Amino acid sequence: MEQLNAWFTDLLAGNAIFTANTLGFYWDGLVTTVQLVFLCLVLGIVLAVPLAIGRGSKRPWIKWPIYLYTYVFRGTPLLIQLYLVYYGVVFFDGIQDSIFWVVFKQAFYPALIAFTLNTAAYTTEIFHGAIKNTAKGEIEAARAYGMSKPLMMRRIILPSAFRRALPAYGNEVIFMLHASAVASVVTIMDLTGAASYVYARFYAPFAAFSFVAVIYLCLTFSIMFCFRKLEKRLLAHLRPRGA
Amino acid sequence: MAATPIPLEARGIKKRFGDHEVLKGLSLQAHKGDVITLIGASGSGKSTFLRCMNLLEQPDEGDLIVHGEAINFRTTQRGREPANWKQVERIRAKLSMVFQNFNLWAHMTLLENVIEAPVHVLGKPRTEAIAQARDLLDRVGLLDRADYYPTQMSGGQQQRGAIARALAMDPEVMLFDEPTSALDPELVGDVLKVMRGLADEGRTMILVTHEIAFARDVSSQVIYLHQGVIEESGTPAEVLDNPRSERLRQFLAPKH
Repeated sequence: MEQLNAWFTDLLAGNAIFTANTLGFYWDGLVTTVQLVFLCLVLGIVLAVPLAIGRGSKRPWIKWPIYLYTYVFRGTPLLIQLYLVYYGVVFFDGIQDSIFWVVFKQAFYPALIAFTLNTAAYTTEIFHGAIKNTAKGEIEAARAYGMSKPLMMRRIILPSAFRRALPAYGNEVIFMLHASAVASVVTIMDLTGAASYVYARFYAPFAAFSFVAVIYLCLTFSIMFCFRKLEKRLLAHLRPRGA
Repeated sequence: MAATPIPLEARGIKKRFGDHEVLKGLSLQAHKGDVITLIGASGSGKSTFLRCMNLLEQPDEGDLIVHGEAINFRTTQRGREPANWKQVERIRAKLSMVFQNFNLWAHMTLLENVIEAPVHVLGKPRTEAIAQARDLLDRVGLLDRADYYPTQMSGGQQQRGAIARALAMDPEVMLFDEPTSALDPELVGDVLKVMRGLADEGRTMILVTHEIAFARDVSSQVIYLHQGVIEESGTPAEVLDNPRSERLRQFLAPKH
């Protein structure tokens, strides 16, 4: 307890570590992390919706390749996927001479691609499960009322499935936030990257990483809070009236 | 001058599941204002027959003519199927179905359930659909439940809501598939009252039911099915009060 107290006093005494300069690093790291995670989640959903629909298709040449994709990306570590994309882009002949190189020579975009492919794989499976669990009677009613397949998908199956998927998807978002820490190994100055930098510069690992842990915690709780709100709104049909 | 086409006609409908022939060539004509009741033991094929009429099941043989328009079929290696799904969708929109388990869309409020198909299938303007839906909900006694979700209502309320949803399509024919079988006994009355009102105002209805007393009251025609064959057919007085076959007599005998 005394030790903790002393450490805390040290921290607040504003010794060399937490200056405006290093806080600036953390801030930039926060911005990078939020950008990276937000973008990969948005792109992940955009990919996952059609993939989840295709995953439930009766046609084998649609459903099996999608299953293979989600199986591979859920079956290998994100860090390895990141390395493969990061070091793999240069194997595309001539990419270094093309306009794409402007984008790919930065670590951010390979990381974004790896993260997107990873979260899209998990999200596809979450949505696929939710779509599969649509009540048969509701689908039958939609058919009986003359809905075409696309209309039924848009009006009945997806809105109902998204609601069912919400709690699991909330976990995926938090998981992705935490997993994004691996971005720092390919030179990205995200939150973890900033913490590593502060650690290396001041040789103060405990201070550097506890500070960043608190930031991750705050982010996690804000995400959880948002999903709670969203669930309260969108899952109203599962609660008794007025609850 | 040609007579107005009859709302629904089924000719020689056959249906098999695997090796089991469920329907062995059934025909039926629903004229405007007819209330046709299908009765029979479980497994007699009455629900399957009803579901063939809006093609929730594909008949293996036979024709369906809805308001003078015959449904086109084609045969593929998977079996017989409608040649044109757009035509099926258009025809289904004229035949509203009420299900045993209500099948309201759970993520929508009752009002949203009622306006869904009129707006998105028939292309009705939303405000118009809402006004109509409120009238219908009022009529089935559920106007105060318009903003409730299906799970927040009793079975009887859900089924009356489902009837409002069916009416909102302004259907040519209404199909009822055992609409009171999943209800607690004390809730059956309200649903039957609504259905009686529909019969009285001249709606064309085809229903599968176990409520013999109700069938006697409202039907213009009663059809008794046994193992996929129409065994008896006629007015309620003919079929229910003077059954010719021993089987139907036993079916109608009070159960203990």
